[in-house]
Amino acid sequence: MPVTFTFGEMLSARSVIGSTLAELGDEYDNLWVITPDIGATLVEFRDKFPQRFLDVGLAEQACVGIAAGLAYDGNIPVVSGMLPFLSMRALEQVRTDVCYPNLPVKIIGTHGGLVGNGGSTHYAVEDLALMCALTNMTVTSIGDPLMVGEIIRQSMTMQGPIYIRLAVGKSDKVLYEPGQHEVRIGKGIVAREGTDATIFTHGTVVAQALEAAEELAKDGRSVRVVDMFTLKPIDEELIAQCAAETGGRFVVLEDHLAYGGLASRVADVVADRNIHLTAFERLGIPQVYAGFGGDEELRNKHGYGLEATIAATRRVIAAQA
Amino acid sequence: MGQTSLQTGGNPPTIEELEDLAFELRSKLLHLCGTYEGAVHIGGDLSAADIFTVLYNYGLNVDPTDIANPARDRFVLSKGHAAVCMYIAMAMRGFFSYDGIVETYGQLDSAYGMHPCKVQLPGVECSTGSLGHGLPLAVGMALSARGRGEGHRVFCLLGDGETGEGSVWEAAMAARSNELGNLVAFIDRNRQLMTSFAEERIVFEPYPDKWAAFGWNVVNVDGHDMRQLVEALDALPAADSNRPTVVICDTVKGKGVDFMERNLAWHAGSLGPADLERAMAALEASREKESV
Repeated sequence: MPVTFTFGEMLSARSVIGSTLAELGDEYDNLWVITPDIGATLVEFRDKFPQRFLDVGLAEQACVGIAAGLAYDGNIPVVSGMLPFLSMRALEQVRTDVCYPNLPVKIIGTHGGLVGNGGSTHYAVEDLALMCALTNMTVTSIGDPLMVGEIIRQSMTMQGPIYIRLAVGKSDKVLYEPGQHEVRIGKGIVAREGTDATIFTHGTVVAQALEAAEELAKDGRSVRVVDMFTLKPIDEELIAQCAAETGGRFVVLEDHLAYGGLASRVADVVADRNIHLTAFERLGIPQVYAGFGGDEELRNKHGYGLEATIAATRRVIAAQA
Repeated sequence: MGQTSLQTGGNPPTIEELEDLAFELRSKLLHLCGTYEGAVHIGGDLSAADIFTVLYNYGLNVDPTDIANPARDRFVLSKGHAAVCMYIAMAMRGFFSYDGIVETYGQLDSAYGMHPCKVQLPGVECSTGSLGHGLPLAVGMALSARGRGEGHRVFCLLGDGETGEGSVWEAAMAARSNELGNLVAFIDRNRQLMTSFAEERIVFEPYPDKWAAFGWNVVNVDGHDMRQLVEALDALPAADSNRPTVVICDTVKGKGVDFMERNLAWHAGSLGPADLERAMAALEASREKESV
């Protein structure tokens, strides 16, 4: 079933995943979908292709290992589950069974960031640091619910593995009109133009960055927002370009540990390429095991909510050149 | 589900011929252990030598000249530290040159290293070494065969020690749940871990019952008795049956070399010239003893 939507409205990324996979199952007779008991949105695929659907129950390690075994035999397995468990309990299987032989396994899941109010057992907040460390792994984090379908589609012809991170994925704001931006793995999206500073961001907080830019526009500030949905390989050229075009004033905002995620990836590029910056601030999760609360409440409490984003952006704009 | 034979020419080897091949495999292992300057996992190689011999020369439907044939049986080495035993068994079957192994083993840019890597050594089915990873891979391959209606089997060799890993039992449950009668696990039950004997610190028994409780078809054999190994292979349920089979092979770590047998010091090691001579003599003596 094709997904219908309206720009600016809410849409379930999970339903996009479900319908995209069910559609791709026709096109690719070697596409398998495997899940450790997180199959609610995969029903359409399961019903259409029961022989290529596998629910292993609560067994993340075997889930990823089995996916690798299928991939060794020429299949394209999609592992769908909750990221805190796929990225940590099955980390060694991801690294050794999937990345080492560079197999085309796709790991796609939810609960990236302080989202869903499950507490620290159920927040994937280290996952991007872990996945970016793995040789051969492509790492993405998606905010726009429609984009996830496009990313899955593009990943079908990739040789190696890919990690696709979502927030809760039940109700996400449609950020972009289809065709408004070119979506290509490895290329950042300039979600909003601007010249005074750049906010680099990904995933669920892209919407928050856009809101911050909108607020700052009321004071005459022109803030660029880059949706850096591919963390690895990162779009180095875009980072260099933004430094040149927005006065070397960078904010990095992410729903991940402030160290080890996108901010660290951007800082690496800045250091490696000797890019001159005027100011750099990172907004993300500090070294705490966050407690319970709504997504927005947790972001506010831990210093990377909307107000903090606006304040940090003002500071980098005000910084002495 | 019929299976196309990929064997090229001749009758299958006799028990005696298989025993001779196993002896040759052990001799070559000791030779490598003497020439390579670093440590070789000789204890677990020797315990598995008969299993490798019977698989590569009798059980596995493979063609060394056509390594990507989709109809071939798959072999997953879960106990990846026995890689050198697999390399030599495969060389003896015609996959590689034995000299190439001896000349380059463990050297920079060699395809032959301590743990097998499919990327570096085509013919090997998968990259392993971290224990407890092989059975999930084998389950994936068996599912793939099942999904495509292919009649080949997937074999997996595990050490008993590595069955302490939870991932093995996750895979065991998945294999039963998906009725993978085309999956066959061989367990090298040598009753030794790296630093202790089985049951000393970790209780494995009742070991066959554990596999039976997971719904597997359990076969117990003497892992050094070629006739029993052959019979276990002959008696495998059809690949399209609905229960995975585990062949628990009772073995001795270091088998064939008296001073290595059941000796924790010989989990891994290397042999100087005098020790190599002593080991070869011991191997000869054990063969004579067996044939009496």
